[in-house]
Amino acid sequence: MPIDWGPIWLTLRLAGITTFILLFIGVPLASWLALSRFRLKPLIETFISLPLVLPPSVVGFYLLLAFSPTSWLGGWLLDTFNVQLVFSFVGLVVASLLYSLPFMVHPIQAGLENLPSSWREAAYTLGQSPIRTLWYVLLPNCKPALLTGIVLSFAHTIGEFGLVLMIGGNLPGQTRVASIAIYDEVELLNFDTAHTYAVLLLGISFLILLLVYGINKRVTI
Amino acid sequence: MIQLDISLPRLFAEGLSDLHIQADLESGSFTALIGPSGSGKTTLLRLLAGLEKPKQGKMVVNGEVWLDTDKRINLSPQERSIGYVFQDAALFPNLTVRRNIQFAASRENATLVDQLIAETGLEPFINQKPVALSGGQRQRVALARALVRRPTMLLLDEPFAALDSEASHQLRQLLLKLHQDWGTTTLLVSHYDTDVAVLADRVIRLSQGRVQSDQTKAQARIKAISPSEPIRQIYFDEAEQEWVIQTDTSLLRSRNPTWSELRINDYIQVSPLFRQD
Repeated sequence: MPIDWGPIWLTLRLAGITTFILLFIGVPLASWLALSRFRLKPLIETFISLPLVLPPSVVGFYLLLAFSPTSWLGGWLLDTFNVQLVFSFVGLVVASLLYSLPFMVHPIQAGLENLPSSWREAAYTLGQSPIRTLWYVLLPNCKPALLTGIVLSFAHTIGEFGLVLMIGGNLPGQTRVASIAIYDEVELLNFDTAHTYAVLLLGISFLILLLVYGINKRVTI
Repeated sequence: MIQLDISLPRLFAEGLSDLHIQADLESGSFTALIGPSGSGKTTLLRLLAGLEKPKQGKMVVNGEVWLDTDKRINLSPQERSIGYVFQDAALFPNLTVRRNIQFAASRENATLVDQLIAETGLEPFINQKPVALSGGQRQRVALARALVRRPTMLLLDEPFAALDSEASHQLRQLLLKLHQDWGTTTLLVSHYDTDVAVLADRVIRLSQGRVQSDQTKAQARIKAISPSEPIRQIYFDEAEQEWVIQTDTSLLRSRNPTWSELRINDYIQVSPLFRQD
């Protein structure tokens, strides 16, 4: 049965872009959290972890208020950059970045914290800067944690529903991702189409996780 | 000349107290730091390396101020000319032996890397990763890596702790040779009397973060009067997994299994370096 592949590609595009950007935000943030003794660190960790415990509708609701053109942030973005975050793909990416951030940060932070501190200290006594130590010593020795962070972020973004619905609505080609399409098709009693989308998401998620566990077993330092 | 006078609050077995060390070390000297576990030996090495921040103190190395808390000077480990050999060797598992040693070397120092690899006998292993090496080989890599920047001060934190007697013997010979050839001021933390007797020309005994005794080999020789002393007490310290012998002048510790054959009132020869007088 022919289906509209648009929601599937949109989902993969959203997850891919989100994960790619998160890698550049998550790695420095996780490294800083793992290595810093900053007094307010628990407060920052709490903010990062909030999406883990809050219902997506709560996060979505406050982001909707913040992104709205009538709000200070939404208005400023619209006036300055002509960017509207509500009901747009860009808005979905920004919301997904915030929502999937703990899934990138936590595994990498844990991976770095589990490395012996003597590796870092040895690099420092050899005259190496913290950034060079991170790049050449610490990150290469926590590849499984990096891979877990990347895959969890990707998989979590694929499975988003409540947040996407709140921020993006259901605009075909723009914000109608696979999870929304499934909901839509069920509402229209098109169970076959809903089933096809669901099987595709199930297959993609299964393959991703299989890949992670397979690679993580093979990764040797 | 290395002059240090540093203090740091620290929790000792007997409670919170200040680690306070004041000492002058001759350039090119080999000093052993001995004392019971938790007496502050490793902390002192870490303070020297800049890995710990003292509450108060001053450290001047060959005229250069590395630390002066009054003037808010505290050079980072990167800025100090040190080589540090950790107890676990702390080799980087993702890098081969050659790249571990090369890691800290500048491009102009390529020949130095080759020289150190040759001197430490690591040629057969240069393309292997640390996981494939024995404990003794790892410590040799750590030693070569620590020397690659030609440090003023070489700090060794129990490098022999996990080695068998043969590997320890080889590493001791190598260490002594490199110390003499490279002219570093070396500080060694060790629990092993043999290491200290063979290597050090000065022994500082710490207890509860204070210098309990400080003797050079020359001073020890002068004090060497009685050839042997009776054992007053001998027991096995389960926590440290080592034998402890108390004589009239000394408290000795060792993991040497032959000590189990010794009994109270047996006479043993005590190196003057270990006397507590």
